[in-house]
Amino acid sequence: MPTVKLYANLRKLAGTKELSTTGATVGAVLNELVKWNPALRDVVLENGGLRPHIVITLNGHNITDLGTPVMEQDIIAIFPPIAGG
Amino acid sequence: MAGWSEKVLDIDLNTQTYKTYPLDMEMARLFVGGRGLGARLLWDMVGPEVDPLSPENVLIFTNGPLTGTGYQTSNRFSVSTKSPLTGTVLDANSGGFWGMQFKKAGYDVMIIRGKSEKPVWIEIKYGVITFHDASELWGMRVFDLTKKLEQNNNKRNVLCIGPAGENLSRIASIMNDRERALARGGPGAVMGSKNLKAIVVEGKDRPVIHDPERFKFLLYETRKLLAASPLTSQALPEFGTVVLMNIMNNIGALATRNHQQTQFEGAEAISGEELTEKYLVKNASCWACPIGCTRMSKTGKVEGEGPEFESTWAFGAQCGIDDLPAIIEANSLCNDLGLDTISVGSTIACAMELSEKGYMDSDLRFGRSDQLAPTIEAIAYRRDVGSDLADGSLRLATKYGHSELSMSAKGLEFPAYDPRGMQGQGLLYATSNRGGCHMRGNMVGPEVLGLPKMIDRFQVQGKSSFVILHQNVSAAIDSLVLCKFTNMGVADEYFARVLSTVTGIQYDTGELTRVGERVWNLERLYNLREGFSRTDDTLPPRLLNEAPTDGPSQGWVVQLEPMLKEYYRGRGWDENGVPRPQKLEELKLADLLVRN
Repeated sequence: MPTVKLYANLRKLAGTKELSTTGATVGAVLNELVKWNPALRDVVLENGGLRPHIVITLNGHNITDLGTPVMEQDIIAIFPPIAGG
Repeated sequence: MAGWSEKVLDIDLNTQTYKTYPLDMEMARLFVGGRGLGARLLWDMVGPEVDPLSPENVLIFTNGPLTGTGYQTSNRFSVSTKSPLTGTVLDANSGGFWGMQFKKAGYDVMIIRGKSEKPVWIEIKYGVITFHDASELWGMRVFDLTKKLEQNNNKRNVLCIGPAGENLSRIASIMNDRERALARGGPGAVMGSKNLKAIVVEGKDRPVIHDPERFKFLLYETRKLLAASPLTSQALPEFGTVVLMNIMNNIGALATRNHQQTQFEGAEAISGEELTEKYLVKNASCWACPIGCTRMSKTGKVEGEGPEFESTWAFGAQCGIDDLPAIIEANSLCNDLGLDTISVGSTIACAMELSEKGYMDSDLRFGRSDQLAPTIEAIAYRRDVGSDLADGSLRLATKYGHSELSMSAKGLEFPAYDPRGMQGQGLLYATSNRGGCHMRGNMVGPEVLGLPKMIDRFQVQGKSSFVILHQNVSAAIDSLVLCKFTNMGVADEYFARVLSTVTGIQYDTGELTRVGERVWNLERLYNLREGFSRTDDTLPPRLLNEAPTDGPSQGWVVQLEPMLKEYYRGRGWDENGVPRPQKLEELKLADLLVRN
C-alpha cells in the first residue's frame, strides 16, 4: 500500500507522522485519508481540489494533478502551507 | 519631506569628528533607502582602488522611509560596504529594534569613514554624538557587551561586533539587539578594521507621515491581510523558518555534506517539527511585526534566539550532523562571537571534505557534532585550524589546492537549497550581486512551495524571467526597508501604496519595481567596475557537472549556460553581461558612468 507522510501541523491533526492507505490515484489516496480522519478534510481539500498553498509530492516530485496514478511502493508527502528561508 | 528625515550623519573615525548635512532628495526618490540608497552612496565613495579592510572603505548604515513608522515589519535597516569576503558591493540587512531607534535618532544615513587609533564606541543620544574609549570593551563577546551597554529594546539599542570582527574574520557579522545579525559578506571585519566596537542609539523623533489618516487605514488593512494568510498567520509563527527542512529534503534539494548529496538521512531530527516539539520555549518578534517567526529555544547549555532554517542546515545537513542541541548551541555561539552562521557552517563543511579526502591535515569529519563549538571558537580567534577557516571556504579551499570544493558563488557561501533540484535557484545564485545568496530573490517560492503558483523546478527555458522579477522585487523591498515575509501576505503592489502614503510622492507598482531594477543594475555596474565579469556569473563545478546519483533530483545538474544567455537578454544587458546604454538611460543610471 502507498505510504502517506504528514508534516508540520498535519501531524498534530492526524495524531501520526505517517500511515499506509489505499488508492489508485493521488486523489483517491487523499479521499481515503480524509475519510480516515475527517479533521484533515478542511485543511487539505477545498471544492474537490487542493486548498491553496498545500504542497503534495509523489516520491519527491510535486503533484498538481490529483489523477496521477499511485503504485504500491509510492510515498506521498503532504505539506500544509509553509514558508521560510 | 515626510518619510525621510532628510539628514545624513557623517562620522570620521580618523579625527573622531562628525558632520551632518541634508540628504540628496532626488537620490532618495530614485533609490528610496536601505540597500538602494546604500549602493548609490557607496558608488561615489569606494572605488576599485580601495582594499575592503583599509580605512578608505566605509560603512553606510541606512534605514528607509517606512522605517519606524509602525507599518508592519518597518524595523529593518541596512549596512552597505565593499565586502572583504567577495570584493563585491555588499549590503546586509537586519531586523530587531536598532533600525527603528536609528530612525528615531533623526537620520536616514550614517556614514562611518576612516579608522580610530584606539578602540572606540559611539553613542548617539538625542542628537548628541559621543566617542567613548572602548579599550576595556575590546575582546568582549556580544551578549555581555550588549548587556553592559544597557540594551533596552524600545529605548536604547546596541549594535556591535564580537571577537570575530575584531580579529578581521572575513565571515564576521555585525550584531544588533543581542542576537540579530547583519551577517553576510563580512561587514563585521570592516567594523573591526576601523577599531569600532559598538554603536548605541537612543532617539525620540517620530517619523513624519504625509497622510496619517490613510496610513492608519493601510495599517488596519495590512493587519487583516497578514492574519488572512496561512503563511504569515500560522506557518511562520507556529514552526518558524526551520519548517522548510523536511520539504527541501523530500524533494531532493537539501544540500548535504558540502553538496555531495541532495538528501540528508538525519533531516527529520533537525526539522522545524523537532525544534518546536523539544526545544522551543516561545516565539518572539521584531519591532512592529505581527508575524513572530523568531524561535526562542533552549538546550541544557544555552537559551536564546534561533536557530533559523539556514543556520540549522549549515551546521546540520551541510556538516552531516543530526544533533539538534549541538546545532542550537553552535548558532548561539556564532551570535555571541559575531559570525555569519551560513558561511561558518559551510566553511566547516568544506574543511571536513578537504580533510576526509586527505587534502588538508585536520581531524574534522562529517557528522562530528562535538567538533562544531571548538571549531567556531577557533575561527573567531583565528586559532589553530580556525586561522584557515576564518576567511571563508573559497580562500580555505584555494589554499589547499581545491578551490572547486568551496560551495560558493563569487566567494559567498550558498544557503541550504541545492540548485541541481531547483534550476532557477542556480541562476539566482550565479547572478546575485553579493554572491551565493537566497535573500536577493528566492526561487523556493515558485519552485517548491507554489508561491504565488507552482512552476516546474527542473524547467530551464523561461526561468530567467521569474528570477529577474524576484531579484527586482527583492531589491525594492530591501530599499523600503521591510521584511520579505510581509510579502507572503501582502502583494508588492500594496507596498507602493504605503510608500506613497508615507512620503507624499506617488509611486505606482511599476515605479517601485523599477526602483528594484535600478538598484540591481547599479550593483552590477559596481561589480563590473571592480573587475568582475561574465566569468564570475558561475557556480562550482560540482553543481554544473556532478549529478546526484539518487533521490528526486537524480541525474540533474544546473543548466546554467542557456539560462544565463536568456537572463542577460531579459535584463537588457549585452552577451558579456554589461548593461546596454539604453537600459542605463531608461533607469536614470547613465549619468553615473559619465561622471565616473
